[in-house]
Amino acid sequence: MEPKIPEFGRFAEPSLLILVSLSDGPKHGYAIMQDVEQGTGRPMGAGTLYAALARLEERGLIEPLAPVDRRRPYRLTAVGASNLAEQLRGLADFAQMGLRQLGQGPR
Amino acid sequence: MKSLLIRLYPADWRARYGDEFAAILEERPLGPFDVADVLLGALDAQLRLRGRDATIKQGRMFTMSLRLGGAAAILGGVLFPAGFVATSIDASDDLFPGVAFILAGLAALLVALIGLSAFQARQHPRLIWTAFALPAFGTAVACIGILSAPFFGERPVVAGLDPWSISMIGLAATAVGTVLFALATYRTRALSRPAAGFLAAAAGYLVAVVVVAFSGIFGDLDGVAATLVSALGVAGLFGFSIGWVVIGLTAIRADRPAPALA
Repeated sequence: MEPKIPEFGRFAEPSLLILVSLSDGPKHGYAIMQDVEQGTGRPMGAGTLYAALARLEERGLIEPLAPVDRRRPYRLTAVGASNLAEQLRGLADFAQMGLRQLGQGPR
Repeated sequence: MKSLLIRLYPADWRARYGDEFAAILEERPLGPFDVADVLLGALDAQLRLRGRDATIKQGRMFTMSLRLGGAAAILGGVLFPAGFVATSIDASDDLFPGVAFILAGLAALLVALIGLSAFQARQHPRLIWTAFALPAFGTAVACIGILSAPFFGERPVVAGLDPWSISMIGLAATAVGTVLFALATYRTRALSRPAAGFLAAAAGYLVAVVVVAFSGIFGDLDGVAATLVSALGVAGLFGFSIGWVVIGLTAIRADRPAPALA
């Protein structure tokens, strides 16, 4: 499985979680944190969230929208959607390989 | 405490994210985990801030190439057959509108190839630029052939080829190259797979009809057979054009904003 955003280092996993959270529509930072916590059962700190958001924005994978009060929503770009789909397919392939090795997947 | 934590971030970072970041910190009480996380985030921001603007520009260029490529594919897909229709209706030697439309259509398809290839090449550079080469060569050669016609007439331009032959070679390379480009696009999944598949099939059909028409394998066609082959050729031309329009539309739609706001 080839990592698609290896230069994200320790922020690669939070970045993936953010991309998944934004895949059903734009969200502001706090909504992303809640979404990630609900989906994974683990909290994501604000420092981690914004370190990952900044990297994703730098790479053009997400883009900011106009702020609503002091909350600024973010949305996936086309590049981000394409990158996310590729990462998820890679993970799916990896999961299938693991299940096959356990004798629990389709051969 | 919260404002102190935010002040640990660089000034440029605060100017960009400070307000929304402060709003997030105010959403819930800060625990030890949150404080440690913000401290690490501030350290990371201090280390990483330089070079951010250049990288943002790069990301925006990819999005721009998708929009530009999509719009050019639609324009080329409309102008290209419009030019052939106009030349078949207008029997005069005037370059406008028929030949001008064909030229503009070919130029638009070249822009579309560049834009859509640049977008996909981000993740599959070798495959995409290989597939890009033949149709780009074809559109450029076809343009050269058409543009040289008023100056050379039926005289050879290069390697014993007259303008008409050069145009035909270019158009054939464009059609065959479009098949390769569409198959590569289908393979990368960066754009709509059904649209890429349709374009590959339509361009492949056009190539097949042209080969049958010009190869002479059915002898000299006349009467009903000639009419039938002409009709199949026109259908191939329009299918080819519709394929480009469809892939252009899907490229532009891929970048539209999501409707919901959480």
